[in-house]
Amino acid sequence: MNNSNLERQDQEILELLKDYPMPTANAGFYEQALARATHEGSRRQRNRWVMTGFGSAIAAGLVLWFVGATFLATPNLPQPEASIPGITMTLEEPRTVNLVFASAAALEAATLTVTLPDGIELAGFPGQREITWQTSLVEGRNFLPLELIALSSAGGEVLARLEHDDRNRTFRIRVAVS
Amino acid sequence: MSSQANKQAFETLVRPHFDRLYRLAFRLTGRTADAEDLFQELLIKAYGKLDDLVAIEEPGSWLSRVMYNLFIDERRRFARRRMHTVEEGFLPVDGIEGFAGTENPEQDQRRLEQLNQLDLALKQLSDEHRLIVLLHDTEGYKLEEIHALMEIPVGTVKSRLHRARARLREILTETGTFS
Repeated sequence: MNNSNLERQDQEILELLKDYPMPTANAGFYEQALARATHEGSRRQRNRWVMTGFGSAIAAGLVLWFVGATFLATPNLPQPEASIPGITMTLEEPRTVNLVFASAAALEAATLTVTLPDGIELAGFPGQREITWQTSLVEGRNFLPLELIALSSAGGEVLARLEHDDRNRTFRIRVAVS
Repeated sequence: MSSQANKQAFETLVRPHFDRLYRLAFRLTGRTADAEDLFQELLIKAYGKLDDLVAIEEPGSWLSRVMYNLFIDERRRFARRRMHTVEEGFLPVDGIEGFAGTENPEQDQRRLEQLNQLDLALKQLSDEHRLIVLLHDTEGYKLEEIHALMEIPVGTVKSRLHRARARLREILTETGTFS
């Protein structure tokens, strides 16, 4: 191929690259990101409950569930079926679900237990059906990101049980797998 | 500063750079969800370093560099995700659905086909080559800016850019994309 052909092709490539679409953020994303950063940034400075890293990022595009009523402020009544949130996952594709626990007061040494159905795993805990954390809660909203992976199409319910002293509250999330 | 004043100072510093940072996040990750994730993580990290940020002369460059480092730190995780992206890239529903066209539908259709071929060709480049060619030729970064972002010598940026374009030329020739 002669030089003029190469130059013409290079020019075409440059023109195509200039026309290559510029990605734009979804409407409202910047506002949400800013609000979460200032809220979450403050929280991280005083509470290490939320781990660092992308797996725990409280980000747009991730599922955010405000689960249950305020801990300690309301009795632990069974969650009505109609109010159980649901998500649909893609087989073997990780998906982050952010649980949000509202606490009426700051709490030390609360225990959180996540129970998973067969075929759903928590990233970093392969094969474990039940994972327990000791954690502290701040007054107000507390985020817990869970990165879930569906290894079978069975789906089921993920349970998150929060306990402190003799009180407890259980939250349920229905998981379907497509 | 009060919490509210911190928030306002932070927003004033970072907001002018949002579009450019979002595009960088997308160029790095290749997926909207991951770009949003990376962008969000950057803001959280930057807010935690507000005291440093207010003293920086060029916050845009600093933010880009922090984002790039965040991406590199989490690269293995993104590499696993990208396996899905590559597969999806060959599905007919994927690709570029539109661009700023002309009043000539036939010409636009041809351009769209070329852009889709370019999209597939870019996915066959190495991560470094794809990033450099997109930053330089699509986003308009200068060689010096890429050098500062990726911390590689300008000469290396140039040679990678040259090799990336050459590889694109090869692929696009094989697919009969040129006019």
